[in-house]
Amino acid sequence: MFSIYKKELQSFFYTPFAYAITALFLLLFTYMFNVSIGNIEQSTFQFSFTEIFYNVIFYFIFLIPIMTMRTFADERKFGTEVLLMTSPISVLKIVLAKFLANITVFAFMIIGSGLFPIVTAMNGEVVVSQLVCAYIGFFCWGAMYIALGMLVSSFTESSILAGILGELAMFIFLFIDDFSQTEFIAQYPKLQSVMYAFAAQPRFAYFSQGFIRLSDLVFFISAIVVLLAWNFVSIERRRWNRG
Amino acid sequence: MINIENLTKFYGNNRAVNNISFTINDNEILGFLGPNGAGKSTTMNMIAGYLPMSGGTVKICGTDISKDPVKAKRKIGYLPQDPPVYPDMRVKEYMAFCAGLKKIPRSQRKDEIQRVMELLKITDVKDKLIKNLSGGYKRRVGFAQAILGNPEFVILDEPTVGLDPNQVIEVRNIIRELKKSHSVIFSSHILSEVSEVCDRVVIINKGDIRAVDTIENLERSFGKSLVLHIKVKGSKTKSASIIEMTKGVKEITSIDEEEGGMFSFTTQLDGDAEEIRREMMSELIKNKVDIAEIYTEKPNLENVFIELINRPVRSNRMEELLNDVVPEEKEEK
Repeated sequence: MFSIYKKELQSFFYTPFAYAITALFLLLFTYMFNVSIGNIEQSTFQFSFTEIFYNVIFYFIFLIPIMTMRTFADERKFGTEVLLMTSPISVLKIVLAKFLANITVFAFMIIGSGLFPIVTAMNGEVVVSQLVCAYIGFFCWGAMYIALGMLVSSFTESSILAGILGELAMFIFLFIDDFSQTEFIAQYPKLQSVMYAFAAQPRFAYFSQGFIRLSDLVFFISAIVVLLAWNFVSIERRRWNRG
Repeated sequence: MINIENLTKFYGNNRAVNNISFTINDNEILGFLGPNGAGKSTTMNMIAGYLPMSGGTVKICGTDISKDPVKAKRKIGYLPQDPPVYPDMRVKEYMAFCAGLKKIPRSQRKDEIQRVMELLKITDVKDKLIKNLSGGYKRRVGFAQAILGNPEFVILDEPTVGLDPNQVIEVRNIIRELKKSHSVIFSSHILSEVSEVCDRVVIINKGDIRAVDTIENLERSFGKSLVLHIKVKGSKTKSASIIEMTKGVKEITSIDEEEGGMFSFTTQLDGDAEEIRREMMSELIKNKVDIAEIYTEKPNLENVFIELINRPVRSNRMEELLNDVVPEEKEEK
């Protein structure tokens, strides 16, 4: 399992990929940070990191699929899937190793953003508890999107298609909360409650306000587990249906 | 030993492999022969544990690959038709990755990688990106990966495709060398290659096994229906009657008139070819017929192959198959 994890990390860090995506992420973060400082309330001199995270989560739709689109699609495209599947390692471990490698790159991305609260703290005051909670929520959301992106990548051998479909899936996931509030969905209260149960945004809102609720943690963790299990099923299913 | 029993694979409603059974013994090279689309790669993918089977079992040294895949796969090295290489990796990185995948102990990895790279002669390209290598080198890198960690069974799906003649000879030598400590399953549609390297062959077509035997046995099975060519100068009728009257000649299948009053006869024999040839020659000489040329055409693996793959299959049992193909042998016994 470690060898696959290491190989995945090499494919990110031995190429400009990890650095380029981190740079893009930090560029977005810097832009949002500057916008927040520009809009600072003159009376209180306060701005919210939570808002920055909220906005950056929107850009996840573009960033995460770029990261995950190659995960399984390229293995199929280059025929290296055969190597992994005929090695003495279980499919579940392959999925986990790839997930952990993506998570590591994601962690590398968000560690850089830690610079902004540090600079802010040096020149003012930061509510650390709220910030830590926001980071935990942000990380959970990212991990869930990575599992979703990997799942989409396991459906196709075209990484570009995996990227586009991943964006679509993440868009739906992000705005399912807003969709459930529409007049049309409101006509069906049961459907609305089901959609709302799947909405991650309100759960992230709690994190960003400095609350860590068990139910929200369970939501993100179970979403990750279900998506990874689906990854496993998708790969196995394709092996059975291959022809 | 690998035991394959009643192996079947369906792709939707299409049956790619049909209830095949055979064994791969220790330290033998088993050739897998069949035309394109015969089911060779599907079968190999199932033996290597890549494709799940629709029915039947594959047991690697007693371990069922579908029940305990991790344990079974430890004993297998597999080179699929397209070498499974990562284009963005350097050869040495790729080999290190494969060594980790195959769980070779860390202390042995360096030496083992060095050994296979030297064996496949890829040491000089170890620092190159795989995407910059030629097709032949990529194939050798894939081959090196398959024998990394000294697996008991090495499965090679058309390992010589895309190699130049020198490399083909080298690869054949490596396969022969592997036999000392491994069993090799090796697929090809190049008959000369199979007959040169393999101890036994499995002939497969449209998902059915047509024969499992040694090359010698297969050739011998067809040896009874020998063909003799003779070119004589003299009377056509006289020569034809002498040839036809010779004991062991079944029939004259063709007579061609050639330049200079020569006649070419093609005959079908039934018996010891050498004896028939001697008898025919002495009879012709006795009758003052000049013999310009005489030779027997022994069926080679190519004839056996064509004959076997074109015959309808009635049974999968080897004895019955051979009886089907050579009923004469049964009569003799």
